[in-house]
Amino acid sequence: MPDTPILQVENLSKFFPVQRGLFRRTVGHVKAVNDVTFTVNKGECVGLVGESGCGKTTVARCLLRLVEPDQGRILLHGEQQTFDIASASRKEMLDVRRQMQIIFQDPFSSLDPRWRVTDVIAEPLIAQKIGRAEASRRVLDILPTVGLGAHFADRFPHELSGGERQRVSIARALVVSPPLVVADEPVSALDVSVRSQIINLLLDLQSQMNLTYVFIAHDLSIVKHISHRIAVMYLGRLVEFGTTQQVFEECKHPYTKALLASVLIPDPTHREQSYVLEGEVPSPLNPPSGCHFSTRCPFAQEQCSAEEPDLRDMGNGHLVRCHFAEDLDLSEGVFALPLATPSASA
Amino acid sequence: MPDSQPILEVLDLHVHFKMLAGVVRAVDGVNFTVERGRCLGIVGESGCGKSVTARSILRLLHSSQTSGQILYHPDGDDEPIDLVNLDPRGDAIRAIRGKDIAMIFQEPMTSLTPVYTIGEQIMESIRQHQDLSEEESQELAISMLNKVGIPDAERRFADYPHQMSGGMRQRVMIAIALCCEPRVLIADEPTTALDVTIQAQILRLIRSLQQDLDMSVIMITHDLSVIAQLADFVVVMYLGQMAEKAPVVELFQNPKHPYTQALLRSIVRPDTPPREQLHSISGSVPDPRNAPSGCRFRNRCPSVHDRCLEDPPVVEFGPQHTATCWLYVDE
Repeated sequence: MPDTPILQVENLSKFFPVQRGLFRRTVGHVKAVNDVTFTVNKGECVGLVGESGCGKTTVARCLLRLVEPDQGRILLHGEQQTFDIASASRKEMLDVRRQMQIIFQDPFSSLDPRWRVTDVIAEPLIAQKIGRAEASRRVLDILPTVGLGAHFADRFPHELSGGERQRVSIARALVVSPPLVVADEPVSALDVSVRSQIINLLLDLQSQMNLTYVFIAHDLSIVKHISHRIAVMYLGRLVEFGTTQQVFEECKHPYTKALLASVLIPDPTHREQSYVLEGEVPSPLNPPSGCHFSTRCPFAQEQCSAEEPDLRDMGNGHLVRCHFAEDLDLSEGVFALPLATPSASA
Repeated sequence: MPDSQPILEVLDLHVHFKMLAGVVRAVDGVNFTVERGRCLGIVGESGCGKSVTARSILRLLHSSQTSGQILYHPDGDDEPIDLVNLDPRGDAIRAIRGKDIAMIFQEPMTSLTPVYTIGEQIMESIRQHQDLSEEESQELAISMLNKVGIPDAERRFADYPHQMSGGMRQRVMIAIALCCEPRVLIADEPTTALDVTIQAQILRLIRSLQQDLDMSVIMITHDLSVIAQLADFVVVMYLGQMAEKAPVVELFQNPKHPYTQALLRSIVRPDTPPREQLHSISGSVPDPRNAPSGCRFRNRCPSVHDRCLEDPPVVEFGPQHTATCWLYVDE
């Protein structure tokens, strides 16, 4: 696939003010997203991972201007023109939203209980000033695409299961045929047996409709499965960015390594993994000085708490924010911490 | 462990709820044994009855109709106690609940009261069951906080739950559960609300405390990876019924029930080829109020057969491996 960028995020920042006291004075800022830069190419899936509070959802919301970014540019290369989402007018945003849609995490709270499925899916069309009759026709067209029968159109959300609701959310996002879809934890609220159905559906739709995804999830095995490239965030900062191969097999940032090592392997004969990262994510209100990860990093040196490392290219577009990315030995031995293995016959 | 002794036996447990829309058979004929010092995993999707099973052990469900036996074997040669016969509000169960059998819940955010300090909440449990003075119980509470890995425990003792993170609150829950050195710890989705790195910490903590205190654990989860990492023996549940039970390695290597097989195939493993279609189970879990008759998995099962309209038999595959399915019975 030729690398044509469809979305360029440049130095995106979002600081939420923290107000205290009688006069709601601003006493500080939560740096939810701090100087994040990445590019999404046409037809690919970029995964965004990190722990809660790392800013991945805020990035998603900034991309659609559901929260106002404070700094930076978000360039969307549409079919005819390029938009800067960060400074687009309301009228331009209408065009942007025809190019880009979002799927939310929780299908139980993102659908209005009083709206029928057909109204939910038609809403983006109505917002785009498409007539009722045409909108209903397009709703009936999109339902089979997401694996729902036409009889679902008149149902209410409470009549649907979690998986069906998420299919409705996907249909709502896709009904305006956007080339770019942001999916914010689309499967984490679903049952295990339904989760793989929805992932298969997302993969199918991507190849059928030539979609581009920004896929946000905390489940690393799912992100690995679906993404071409992966961005790892920690405390509002991008700490590593690269192809799935680079991030999973050749990762250079100790945080990424720790994250990967804490993924539980579904195999009872393999209990030797689990490097356990000590401590917790510090408060984003008052992140550690220097490298934000220095307080939990097993390799931290003096320099780490003094200066913040830059995001450096380690070759072939593999970006890492670590002073010692070249020198660290992140092989299994350093991180392995054995757990007891069960006796074969209990 | 040379000889495995049961500490808790659940025999033909049925828990039904009467509702306006009909009877919900939340748990329908579940049998399992928890051995001393071992970890039993109960795995299943939403509505499978895994949490109801756990709660009925501690008699926390007041409005249900429970039948069957839940035999608790205290230390020594005492007669087993049938927990089902105990009054949910009586003194007998209160002496066991929190002391012999303790529980940690899924939501560390909502299972601590916001108006008491965490120290007071741990001491409440200690003073309920142990005859200790104020100072002694405070000392014990602080040592428990240390044991579950809360840094600076003396200071955190006076904190309120809102001052702590989710992982810390779950540690407090574990400290409350463990302060009376229970024989059995029931953990109901203890890590579902937590981040992966914190999940790894908490699971390792449960594992090491289990070994140190020679405690039995019932781990309830929807996550097969948690089961693979922690359990010695596994019960797979689907819509209130037991689909399969087996030792953990046997279950992962030689699953017999079509539901277990499908679940194991549908998870993403480290060696799953990227961006390929995953195996999936068609349809979704039905509403427990209109569960299918006979085998409850039949309308999603790839190997469904006419016989599945009738209740499936329990088929044995080994000393401890059974599956509830018609597939292995000759016509």
